[in-house]
Amino acid sequence: MKILLVGMNHRSAPVEVRERYARDDVAPVLQKLAASSEIDEAVLLSTCNRTEVVVVTRALEAARLRLQRFFRHDLAAADGGARENVADYLYEYRDGDAMGHLLRVTSSLDSMVVGEPQILGQAKAAYADAVECSAAGPVLSRLYQTAFATAKRVRTDTRIAERPVSIARVAVDLARQIFEDLDDKHAVLLGAGEMVEMALRSLRREGLASIAVANRSVANAEALAAELEASAHGLDEIGQLVGRADLVLTCVGGAEPVLTREALSTVLIARRDRPLFVIDLGVPSNVEAALEQHDNVFLYDIDDLGEIANENAAARHRETALGEAIVAEERQRLEGWFMALRAAPTIAHLRRRVDGIRAREVERALGRLGLDATQCEAVDALTRSIVNKILHAPMVSLRREAEREEGLAYLEAVRALFALDDSDDGSDPRR
Amino acid sequence: MRRWGTGCPRRIPLDDWERERGLVVQLHQLTAALYLAAGLVAGLGLALPMRSLLRGAASLLGVGALVHGIAFSQLHRADPPVPLTDIPAAISFMAWIAVCFSLVLLYRARLMALSVLVAPIAFLSTFFAALRLPHAEPATTLGSGSWPHAHVLLAGSGLALLGVAGLAGTLFLLEHRRLKAKRPLSSRTPWPSLEALDRVNRVALALGFPLITLGVITGLFWDEAAHGAVFTGSAHEVWSLVAWAIYAVMAVVRFTSHQGARKAAASAVCGFLFLFFAVVGVELLV
Repeated sequence: MKILLVGMNHRSAPVEVRERYARDDVAPVLQKLAASSEIDEAVLLSTCNRTEVVVVTRALEAARLRLQRFFRHDLAAADGGARENVADYLYEYRDGDAMGHLLRVTSSLDSMVVGEPQILGQAKAAYADAVECSAAGPVLSRLYQTAFATAKRVRTDTRIAERPVSIARVAVDLARQIFEDLDDKHAVLLGAGEMVEMALRSLRREGLASIAVANRSVANAEALAAELEASAHGLDEIGQLVGRADLVLTCVGGAEPVLTREALSTVLIARRDRPLFVIDLGVPSNVEAALEQHDNVFLYDIDDLGEIANENAAARHRETALGEAIVAEERQRLEGWFMALRAAPTIAHLRRRVDGIRAREVERALGRLGLDATQCEAVDALTRSIVNKILHAPMVSLRREAEREEGLAYLEAVRALFALDDSDDGSDPRR
Repeated sequence: MRRWGTGCPRRIPLDDWERERGLVVQLHQLTAALYLAAGLVAGLGLALPMRSLLRGAASLLGVGALVHGIAFSQLHRADPPVPLTDIPAAISFMAWIAVCFSLVLLYRARLMALSVLVAPIAFLSTFFAALRLPHAEPATTLGSGSWPHAHVLLAGSGLALLGVAGLAGTLFLLEHRRLKAKRPLSSRTPWPSLEALDRVNRVALALGFPLITLGVITGLFWDEAAHGAVFTGSAHEVWSLVAWAIYAVMAVVRFTSHQGARKAAASAVCGFLFLFFAVVGVELLV
């Protein structure tokens, strides 16, 4: 039995290639794959950054070819087939390496943004899909359960996910250090832009009492306000809006700052001791730097936020070594379990063989002795007990040794000594 | 106002006195140990950072406050009672009030970091009290009625609350400086927000200033009962009145003008340092 993982990710394939192999609904293709004779178990993970399929197979080469075909025809089918040689973008891992890769992926050590939390949810969804399609069996179930536990361990035992690495999350983090609660806070968005809108949406998820959108064009403000369930205003209302606001996000085009200390001097006095968090994502800056001299104004521009995000990303990378150590430890344990699976058929075979001999010999002896039913049962129990006691130690050793690569020699020795490969009818091969 | 620990001596057998207060001292020692443990656990909770440790520190602080409260009940049950007017007992009382007030604040989860400052200060105060209580003089306030106890209870409570305001102000200044320098903490660090710290500062001043005012008034009545004069010109009296005047200005500025949160925090820190010196430092020095 072998484990094979084939896939592409943000390092092996450009985004336009990855897009062609990403699937929202994996069930139909997964069912088709699981129905293949070469594949015993399969799980398909498909996200915007990676498409990976992990399978359990007893015919490795055939499974490899099947997975190549799977990528070329089944996954790319919606696009009318692959335009490129998909093999150029695929990587492949086997057995221990496949397990290690899966543990790294679910623990977010292999992600584009190390420590991002989404991948664990995506992996759980992929496994659930496989269970639903009856594509996941005992081996992949054990593999995924270990992967989920490892991911949890990496998140709790390291600081890999501690610091936000996106501008939007950094802004939320800062807001929570300034304000006790965001539920009663008012935000103002000046201008528009993808990044500033993302930051606002992140803040909204934490809870904001109200949002006001102000733009040079009131029509544009109204369009955005409708999307954000906010009120729309013109830029001429800035003073009034800032007076009420706790958070101001700006991304307005133009060379001149729209928020200046002079223009807001009366507004800031009227605000008394309420803190004002200003996120300036405009380039060039929309906010006069002198505004920061005010005690209650916390001004962060795009460079400040970017620098914090970069420092946080660097801190996360420093934590990856700890995460890798946890993965290595779990991988070793998983490999041991997987190798121990090899012993199961031999142990079952050995027990069947010995028990068959015992049963025949007991039957023969009882026929000669002419014992009553109680005595027959006692003899039967006695022989069972003797067999169990004799087999106990070798079976424990076999299971233990099978967890190591060298354990294969033990299995072969047992098969040769007890002639397990000669016949499978439970009879004594020497007769 | 009178100096603590002075007045008409009451004659009692010294052996009985020492036996009675033995339990009070032991309870103070236990309280000090609990506060020390709370401080260490809170420090670990912030350094690691782990919220569960901070919750553990708050629980230890709570148990400490309970034992501390029992110590005060023993202090009153002793015959004759250990006088609250004695400096160690008064400091211990202030620490107890400060811990109780902080525990109320700790219910708001993000203020748990306050225990990292409150617990060590409470430990030092109770440890000092445990060391000095065996040498405390028997009650010396006979003839002054209830004024001495009322004075210590009110002034001590006010001082404790203004102390918590000073601690919150210290945390505020640290956090404000960090945010202005663009060096924010990680989101997992359970540090209170600026707004929460400012609110603690405001509430502590709003409650602490009236209490300290009542403490000053009862102190004047105590003086009148003991000496027949409201103002005797003692160093404790003069310094305390100056400190009260400073706090009066601070309270007026805080609640009626446009004072920013940072200035309010700085005032709370400086104000408390002066008040502590005026009330306790002068008492120890003179």
